Amino acid sequence: MKIALFIPCLVNQMMPDVAIATLELLEKLGHQVILPEGQTCCGQPMTNSGCFDAARSTTLKLLNAFKGVECDAIVCPAASCLVAAKENFHEFDSSPEAQAVIDKLYELTEFLHDIAPIPVFRKPFAHKISLQLSCHGIRMLSLATPSEQMGPRFNKVEAVLAKIAGIEILYPDRRDECCGFGGTFAVDEGAVSAKMGKDKAQAHAATGAKYVVGFDPSCLLHLDGMIRRQQLPIEIRHIAQVLNAAL
Amino acid sequence: MAYQHNHGAVGSQVHAHKADIFCRDETRVDWHSKALWTLREKRDRAAGSIPEWEQLRQLGSDIKLHTLTNLAQYLEIFEQNCLANGIKVHWARDGAEHNRIVHDILSSHKVKKLVKSKSMLTEECHLNPYLEQRGIEVIDTDLGERIIQLAKMPPSHIVVPAIHMKKEEVGDLFHEKLGTKAGASDPLYLTRAARAHLRQQFLSADAAMTGVNMAIADKGAVVVCTNEGNADMGANLPKLQLHSMGIDKVVPDVDSAAVLLRTLARNATGQPVTTYSAFYRGPQPEGEMHIIIVDNGRTEMLKDKILAESLKCIRCGGCLNTCPVYRRSGGYSYNYTIPGPIGIAVGAKLDDTNSIAWACTLCGSCTYICPTKVPLDKIIFHHRRLKAEAGQLPYGKNGYMPLVGKFMASPTMLNCSMSMARTALRILPGSLLKPFSGAWGKYRELPVAPNSSFEAWFKQHRSL
Repeated sequence: MKIALFIPCLVNQMMPDVAIATLELLEKLGHQVILPEGQTCCGQPMTNSGCFDAARSTTLKLLNAFKGVECDAIVCPAASCLVAAKENFHEFDSSPEAQAVIDKLYELTEFLHDIAPIPVFRKPFAHKISLQLSCHGIRMLSLATPSEQMGPRFNKVEAVLAKIAGIEILYPDRRDECCGFGGTFAVDEGAVSAKMGKDKAQAHAATGAKYVVGFDPSCLLHLDGMIRRQQLPIEIRHIAQVLNAAL
Repeated sequence: MAYQHNHGAVGSQVHAHKADIFCRDETRVDWHSKALWTLREKRDRAAGSIPEWEQLRQLGSDIKLHTLTNLAQYLEIFEQNCLANGIKVHWARDGAEHNRIVHDILSSHKVKKLVKSKSMLTEECHLNPYLEQRGIEVIDTDLGERIIQLAKMPPSHIVVPAIHMKKEEVGDLFHEKLGTKAGASDPLYLTRAARAHLRQQFLSADAAMTGVNMAIADKGAVVVCTNEGNADMGANLPKLQLHSMGIDKVVPDVDSAAVLLRTLARNATGQPVTTYSAFYRGPQPEGEMHIIIVDNGRTEMLKDKILAESLKCIRCGGCLNTCPVYRRSGGYSYNYTIPGPIGIAVGAKLDDTNSIAWACTLCGSCTYICPTKVPLDKIIFHHRRLKAEAGQLPYGKNGYMPLVGKFMASPTMLNCSMSMARTALRILPGSLLKPFSGAWGKYRELPVAPNSSFEAWFKQHRSL
């Protein structure tokens, strides 16, 4: 398939390794990958603060970067940004061209589960990992059944990772409780955000896993800061980095 | 960090400030969070034991939406049937009118002592101080409510109002107020002491008042749910009984009430049903029964399609128990009578600190917990937009958000300054960066900065 990468500003600037792993793994799977130019922020920090006017210009610029780009799918290694992009594109542009972009948007895990599954992993990843089930991915993108919901359960993140030889998937206590990042919440509500992050980091470390693995870079960046502040014996990895290492 | 008060009344402080104070005693935060999480776990087990749980939630939502959509009609049917049952019905536009009506009824019967049970509505209307100022003694009779009444505190939770107090603190309070043994904190001992104390109050009361969980339109009856039987003890002893309800409490019929009764207690505390679910449909022999139906802003809320859904709430408290922010900031940090997600949903408009709408990470757990599918995260998100449109933003957002918008929309500005920031993060020592890193660096280590952006890397490694 021909895939256009949507690399959110946070990943582009602060976690390029996540983007590189995403690119490499998609290429190893035989896809043709492009990076449309002129990508900006999805507008989430502004709309989550209620400031829709302040979000309009950056959102539309990001949308324009993808309009008319020839591709089968637009893939993003950040669930929260992807959800915001979908909602904000829809909010600010009701044209068929905008809808065409929205229809092609996929979060990486979602893409590898629903659209183009990985046929086989070539290398093992013999480590214990503790999965970070970030809120927007599970409660807005349905990557896994939220713990609040009763009835039949599914978990796309675990399903994608479980095929890797040697991997042992664990979960922290209160498995899908929010890590406390929440965008500007992390600075507006510093004390509560930090306490939530500390509790989450400790719960991950208590599993005995070597890595916290997640699909949302912003939550991972926050957890990384908490883990290092508390000197916990665990490290963060994005799911793309784990998948890429096993391909 | 300096907090901007746009319309800050004297004494009101932003949520972040109150939460910061609550968080200073970490042992207490852990205890508070765990106590509430235990309720969440009990709820999960109770909900999981019902195969049709998710259908019940949908049904609950449908029933409430249907009733709210035809509210005027159902309220009139309810009133007619109440009147036919010999119940006196009163309508109150707001809290002040509600309090006046209650006082008029009580004073015309020369009531000196009123026993009251479970009513967040009377808290919302601030009824207790109103009556006390007019010489009527008000005794809250739920154990939790009585504890906080003796402690002169408002409720910190809508179902377990004294959840913030440890049993030792209750022991000290009862020692002082009820004469229990000094240092005694055994819950059974304290509960028995409260029971004996309350029994005297029931026997000497002139009137009883309760809240309403559901009002059944086609029967002209109200449903009152408690675990202690105190509402029933009250309503059945004195000859005068009063029930206050919001206009949102009405449901079409008994079958509708039965659906909500199946989820209410399960979602609140994990019980299959409340110990006492009493249906009152008329006065005692030679007695009087009054129902006061209160609007107090609810009609206004109905006008906004998104906010209107908050009126589907049946006050189970499940959203508070699951909320990671409420559990770590406590019930007194919200600048509204009702805390937590539902408190933000119904109280953000009145919040003069303009901050409670931001006391939320938008994690969405509350929305999935809610037994009537109130889209709480969507409502909170909507409140932020309404506040922004009214220029009522907290934490300096009025000033910096437009700048962030401009900055983010410019790839050149973003690239240049981020490249400078990455360099600074790499080469400057942590001690030098800390003063500039604000609330992030106060609690967390700063990110390890990469050498270049992905875009730059891509141009170098993939461009033809």
